[in-house]
Amino acid sequence: MATSNFLDRVRAAARPVVVEVWAPWCGPCRSMAPALDRISHAYAGRVELLKLNADDDPQAVRALDVLGVPTLLVFRQGREVARRTGAQSADGLTALFDAALSEDPNPIVAPTRSERVLRLAAAALLAGMGLASGPAWFLVGAGALVAFSAVYDRCPIWRALWPRLAQRWRPR
Amino acid sequence: MSSFFSNNEAMWDRAVRIVLGAGLLYLGWGGVVTGTLGFVLQWLGFVPLLTGLVGWCPLYSLFKFSTRAPKA
Repeated sequence: MATSNFLDRVRAAARPVVVEVWAPWCGPCRSMAPALDRISHAYAGRVELLKLNADDDPQAVRALDVLGVPTLLVFRQGREVARRTGAQSADGLTALFDAALSEDPNPIVAPTRSERVLRLAAAALLAGMGLASGPAWFLVGAGALVAFSAVYDRCPIWRALWPRLAQRWRPR
Repeated sequence: MSSFFSNNEAMWDRAVRIVLGAGLLYLGWGGVVTGTLGFVLQWLGFVPLLTGLVGWCPLYSLFKFSTRAPKA
């Protein structure tokens, strides 16, 4: 599609919109495409999927503050409510489409199961190494941060703070 | 648009990097390796650890390499 009015189209959409910023040279974009097409068909009529070729419209990409591809952005009533960078699994894509339909003005998109397991394993390794190294509290603290990044969506304090943080980070 | 980053590490690659990074950090911070090399390992370990957590390797990008196999 012509992308000169891409942002206008996103903001004027009557339904929630999921924007995929992709590029022809991007392998992860190709690997994610079948699942994205399948899930967008499942949500047809409720959520609109718009694809933005980053090479064709760098101005729109800059306006969206997108630094990597693929990036998926969720818009509701013309306002960005969630985004994910990197290829997503089918579960991750479904979570984004669910966020588009959510009533929550600032939905928290949970990490996928494999991402959560990887981060928790890394956190355990870091904390374990830290405790076995003296202890090196620096490593234990880093492990705690990584552990938090795996479960932030389940933390009640984060859920309470998130709407304020999201407003600050996403003023549009 | 080649300045963009895009995830270029498979899950196994990320796991290996995290284990390697944690191992290097242990060698450095645990005092197993001391002196200049120990100091280097204390900080070098963060490179594979962070690239594993993020899923993006700048060197892979430089050489247009990826361990994620595109299906299409």
